Amino acid sequence: MKAELRGNSQSIPLQNPNHFTTTQSSISGALTGCLSTLDGACIEKLLLHCASALETNDVTLAQQVMWVLNNVASSVGDPNQRLASYFLRALVSRASRVCPTPVNFNTATGGGAGGGPAFHRRLMSVTELAGPKVPPLLNASIEEIGHRLANFAKYRDVPFEFNIVEVGIPQESSSDILHYDLLLRQLNPSQLNLRVDEALVVNCQNWLRYLPDEQMGSSTSSNLISCRDSFLDMVKNLSPRIVTVVDEDCDLGATTGLASRITSCFNYMWIPFDALETFLPKNSPQRIEYEADIGHKIENIIGFEGIQRMERLESFTKLSQRMGDKGFLSVPFCEETVKEVKTLLAEHASGWGMKKDEDNTLILTWKGHNSVYATVWVPHAVETWENSMSN
Amino acid sequence: MNDSTVSGDSSSGNQVAPPKPAAKKKRNLPGMPDPDAEVIALSPKALLATNRFVCEICNKGFQRDQNLQLHRRGHNLPWKLRQRSSKDVKKRVYVCPEPSCVHHDPSRALGDLTGIKKHFCRKHGEKKWKCDKCSKKYAVQSDWKAHSKICGTREYKCDCGTLFSRRDSFITHRAFCDALAEESAKTQTLVAPTSPDEDKNVEAAASPPQSPPPQVSPAPPAPPSRASPAPPPPRASPALPPPAPPSQAPHPQFLLQLLCCPLFCLFRAQPSGNLYELLESTSPNPTTTQIPEETPSITNLTASCGGSSSSSSSNGSSSSNVFASLFASSTSSGSLHSQTTGFTDLFGAIARPTCTPDVPPSSSTEPVSLCLAMSQGSSIFGTAGQERRQYAPAPQPAMSATALLQKAAQMGAAASNGSLLRGLGIVSSSSSSTGPQEWSQQRLEPDGLSLAAGLGLGLACDGGSGLKELMLGTPSVFGPKHPTLDLLGLGMAASSGSTDGLSALMTSINGGLDVSAAPPPFGGGEEFGSKDIRRSL
Repeated sequence: MKAELRGNSQSIPLQNPNHFTTTQSSISGALTGCLSTLDGACIEKLLLHCASALETNDVTLAQQVMWVLNNVASSVGDPNQRLASYFLRALVSRASRVCPTPVNFNTATGGGAGGGPAFHRRLMSVTELAGPKVPPLLNASIEEIGHRLANFAKYRDVPFEFNIVEVGIPQESSSDILHYDLLLRQLNPSQLNLRVDEALVVNCQNWLRYLPDEQMGSSTSSNLISCRDSFLDMVKNLSPRIVTVVDEDCDLGATTGLASRITSCFNYMWIPFDALETFLPKNSPQRIEYEADIGHKIENIIGFEGIQRMERLESFTKLSQRMGDKGFLSVPFCEETVKEVKTLLAEHASGWGMKKDEDNTLILTWKGHNSVYATVWVPHAVETWENSMSN
Repeated sequence: MNDSTVSGDSSSGNQVAPPKPAAKKKRNLPGMPDPDAEVIALSPKALLATNRFVCEICNKGFQRDQNLQLHRRGHNLPWKLRQRSSKDVKKRVYVCPEPSCVHHDPSRALGDLTGIKKHFCRKHGEKKWKCDKCSKKYAVQSDWKAHSKICGTREYKCDCGTLFSRRDSFITHRAFCDALAEESAKTQTLVAPTSPDEDKNVEAAASPPQSPPPQVSPAPPAPPSRASPAPPPPRASPALPPPAPPSQAPHPQFLLQLLCCPLFCLFRAQPSGNLYELLESTSPNPTTTQIPEETPSITNLTASCGGSSSSSSSNGSSSSNVFASLFASSTSSGSLHSQTTGFTDLFGAIARPTCTPDVPPSSSTEPVSLCLAMSQGSSIFGTAGQERRQYAPAPQPAMSATALLQKAAQMGAAASNGSLLRGLGIVSSSSSSTGPQEWSQQRLEPDGLSLAAGLGLGLACDGGSGLKELMLGTPSVFGPKHPTLDLLGLGMAASSGSTDGLSALMTSINGGLDVSAAPPPFGGGEEFGSKDIRRSL
C-alpha cells in the first residue's frame, strides 16, 4: 500500500495555487510530487490530464504525462499501478489514432505499451451473442452453462429445456451494428418457437452493455432510436413474463465524455483489480490473465469512440430510467432470494457484500463500492394488454 | 487476585511484587512498550500478509497461531520438536514500517500485531472500504463495519433541519442554533445605540429563515445576548441563511463557525462563555458602543471584500495578494477552495474586533487586506453559511478533523502563517459536514495542556504530524516528524516565503487581540502573545 496523499501534492509552491493549470512547470512540479507518494487519486488526475492534452492536441504535454505515468505504472505492482498501466496503454493507443502528428507515442512510454502481457482478443462469436454472456472467470462453455441451468431447474422442480439459438451472421459484416440489427430481427416469436402456455423470461445478463446506444435514425423513420432501445421494444413485444437485467454498475455509455469515462472506468475497474489483489498472489498467471482481459476492455472503452466501442456500460439508475421509459415496471425480489444471496455472500470471502436498493435492485458490492446490479422488470400491464389485443 | 505470594505482606492495597506472567497481564500504555520486549520490524508486505504463521515443515501458511498448531499435530512430530521453544513466550512489540510515522521508532512500538496492522492501514493505507449510506471511506474493514452499523441509525434532528448522529454534537449545535434564532428575534432590546442601518439589518436577520438579509450586522449585537452558557430551549431558528451578495456584512454564521472551531474552546473558558464579549474585552475599546462605529468600517471592508473597488482596497492589495496566496488553496481541489472561504470567514471574524475606526491607518489596512483576501470569488459569509448548513449527511465526503489540520498544514506554508493560524486558534475549516461537529464535540474540553489537547482532537498519529507541520510551518504533510516541540511549535527556521504584510497584520492582530489576557488552556498563552509573535517577524 502506498501512503495516501491528503489533498494534492505537497510540493506545489504557493505561487501556483491552481495545481492543474496547463502550464508545464506546474505539471512537472505536480508530477514529481506524485511520483514519490502515489495513490489512486493522483493517478486518476494524471490520466485526466493526459486525456485533456489529447483532446486539445497538445502532443508535448500528452507525452510528458505519459512519461510520468509510465514511471508510475507497472503491470506487476499494486492494483493502482496495474490499473495505471492498462489505462496508459489505452491512452497511447487512442493517441496514436487520434493525433494526426506523426509522433510515436510508444517512444513516450519507452516502448512500454508495446511489451507486456499479451491481450486476449475476445472473439465475438455468434454463440456468445445469442446466449447469456459468459463471465470470463468461469471459463465455461455454453453447453456447460446449459447443463448447470438444467440441474438447477431440476433442483427447483421446474421443467426446463435448453436450446441454443444460433443467429446467422454474414462473415463480411463490416460494422457491429449490422450484427445487432440482424440479431434483433431474428429474435421474434416464430423463431423462438414460443408455445402458448409458456412463460417467457428474458435474461439480459451482461448483455445490454453490448448494444449500441448511439442515436441513429434511418432515412424513413422520423425519430432517432438507439439499438438498445429498439431491443427493449422488441423484448416488450414478446410479452415476457419477466425480464431480468444484470450488469455492471458503471456509467460508460455512449453519451459520456472521455474525461468522465476515465474517472468512472478507473474507479470501477479498481474493484476487480483490488479483488484479485486480495485473493490471488501478485504473480499468479491466472490473475495476470484476468487483468489483461480487463485491460482489453479498458482499452476499448478509453481508446475508442462511437461505433467502435464494444461495451457501453450503464449504471443501474440510468437503466432503471430507460426501462421505465420503455414501459417496464420494476419488481422486487422475494425475501427468500435476498436472504439466500446474503448467506451465500457471507460464506464467501469477506469484502463482497450486498446492498438492497429501494428501487428493487440488488447490488453486489466490493468493500462498499457498487459492482454488479440485478433487477427484475415486467412490462407495464396496460401495454401488455394492448399487445395481446393486437396479436 | 489480591493475594501476593512474592512479598509476604498480605496488605490488600499494595502489591509490591513485580507482576508475574502467570498473574494479571501488565498492560503497557499504547505506544510506550516494555523496555525489554523484542522489537520486530516487518515490511509492509509481511505486516499485511494474511498467513503469518508458517509451518516450518511444509511451509503452509496460517492466519492464526492456533490453526498452525493444529496443523503441526498432523505432522506427527517427535516429542522433542513438539514443544514450542521458550522464546515464544517473550513479549513482542512491533514498529510501523512507514518511516515518517511516530511508531516507526522502536521506543514507540506497539505491542499488538493486529493493532499495528490496523494502524498502518488507517494512517498509511488507501481507504478502500466505502460506506453504503454515506460516503465515508475507511482503510480498515472493522472500522467500516463499525460505522456501517451505526450509520443512519440514530439521528437527531435540529429544528433548523440539520441531522446529527451524535448526541453531543447535536446538543452543541442546538445551543448555538437556537441562540441564533433567539438573537435575531430579540435584537432590538439588546443593543442600545443602533443605527437605522443596523436595525434594519437586525430585523432582516430575524425575518424568515430563508430570506437572505441584505446588509446584516446582527453579529455584534447578537452574541452579547447569547451570554447564557446554558442552551436555550429549542426554537425554530434561521440557523444559516443562504448565500448573500458579496457585499454582505458579517453574519452570525461566522460566529457559529468560530464556535465550532476547536480552539474556540480557549476563548470559551471565559466565564461569560461568549466569544464576542471576550473579543470585545480584549480589543482596545471593549465597549458595545464600538459596534455601531464598527459597522461602517465593516461594511466598508465587506464591500471591498466583494471585490468592488474602494480606496482602501488599493492599500491592502499587496497584502491581500499575500493572503490570497496564503489562503488560496495551494491545491486545485475545488472543495478545498470553498474550504478556504469558510476558513477565511473565521479569520475575518477574528479580525473584526480589530476593525475599529480609531485604529491607526497602518493597521487598518491589514484588516482590509484580510477581507480582500477573503474575496476568493465567493461571498464571505454567505457560502460559509451554506457550508455550515450542511451538517451530518452532506453529499460531500466529510473530512476528519485530523485531515483538516493537515490541509491547514498544507496551506500554511509560511512559518509565521503557521504561528498566526495557531495563535488565532484557527485551522483550516472545510466545507465538510462533520468538521464543525467533531470540533464542537471536543470543544467541551477546554483545558488542553498542549496544543493538541487544546484542540481536543484525537490527533494520535497523522493528526499529530499534521499539527506539527502546521506549527512548524512546513507545507509538507508527511514531513519529518519532530518529537519535541515547544508548546507553540514555532520553529521559525522552517518558514518559507516572506510575508511582510502578514507580519504587520500579526502585529495589529496581536495588538487588538490581547491573547495573553485570555486564560491559558493554551498552557503558554502568556508567552504567545508577545514573544513568539515577535519571533516570527
